[in-house]
Amino acid sequence: MMDELELLKKDWQKKEEHLPKLSYDEIHTMIWKKSSSIVKWIFYISIIEFIIPHLLYLVPSMRNNSLDIYTDLKLTNAILVVSILQYVVIFYFIYQFYKRYKEISVLDSAKKLTSKILRTRKTVKHYVFFSLSMVLLSFMILVIGIYFSDNVIEILGLEDNFEGMSEERIKLIIMAVFAIFGVVVTAIFGGIYFLLYGLLTRKLRRNYQELQKLEV
Amino acid sequence: MNKELEHRFVTELENNQNIVHKVCSLYTNDRDSHNDLFQEITIQLWKAYPKFRGDAKFSTWMYRVALNTAITLYRKSKKKVRTQDYDSVIFKIKADEYDDTQEQQLKIMYKAIKQLGDIDKALVFLYLEDKDYSEISETLGISEVNARVKMNRVKNKLRTILNP
Repeated sequence: MMDELELLKKDWQKKEEHLPKLSYDEIHTMIWKKSSSIVKWIFYISIIEFIIPHLLYLVPSMRNNSLDIYTDLKLTNAILVVSILQYVVIFYFIYQFYKRYKEISVLDSAKKLTSKILRTRKTVKHYVFFSLSMVLLSFMILVIGIYFSDNVIEILGLEDNFEGMSEERIKLIIMAVFAIFGVVVTAIFGGIYFLLYGLLTRKLRRNYQELQKLEV
Repeated sequence: MNKELEHRFVTELENNQNIVHKVCSLYTNDRDSHNDLFQEITIQLWKAYPKFRGDAKFSTWMYRVALNTAITLYRKSKKKVRTQDYDSVIFKIKADEYDDTQEQQLKIMYKAIKQLGDIDKALVFLYLEDKDYSEISETLGISEVNARVKMNRVKNKLRTILNP
């Protein structure tokens, strides 16, 4: 085997003459092209992930209606506290993300570089966990609000839809609908996200594991 | 950025482009991907160039950036065309230099190397480029001892592929 490998080495080092040869100008135009590295991808996708939950508030009907319901259900204070908390945490995540993104350097060793990229990505993963929990929490608050509200049917404008049913029963149905809806929405967003996350970092994780296997 | 830096960089890369082409030929299977990866490595080299200090050789510095780009940063494009004749262009073996069995053996070896994982390929590449274990360990970020162990495993892996 050694002989074969030595032979291969000799052959390899003779390869130079068969390699393509680019001119000065060809290389020169290349240096101004846009990078399509995975780090760029991760950066853009992460930014989108930070923005998406906030785009919902830009839809006017979404904003007004949901706020009205919250006000009517006397949930304004709970929502305010949650919102403030949410923004503090979001800014923390963005700061962490930026810090880690800046630390990525192509001059590190392969292992360090991969680990830094994965750590940056992990920050976003935690952020998504957090966002999804918040979505679920909002639905929970809503369900609890409905439970304690006296006039939920009126607020939601459902007077005509449930004729002949006891109020307790209608309330239970509405609570169940919101609860199920909340879980389904969270699950769908979570599913899409982790599929994307998995695909994007598959290669990185495989190589990182490979490099780590020996270091135990 | 200043013109002088740009000129120095392109000239150095032009003179040392073989290293990048070799990395590309190991990590890609068709000409388009080869050019694609070459371009990405060039971009990464250029981005990192201001941090390059003259105390190391430009070529030594290139190995790390090129391999990092191939292993970590580069995303293969969707289409997976496996053109056999491309392989034979890059790994062309002059028939008159070797007897038939040797040529055959080399062909099988190159094919086997292309089947290895990203990290193993990097090890083989650095071995073929005659790099010592300290440089291999620094480039990949594993200890020297582990670089040796790993290299032996890769050699064994190649042996199994060669003699199934």
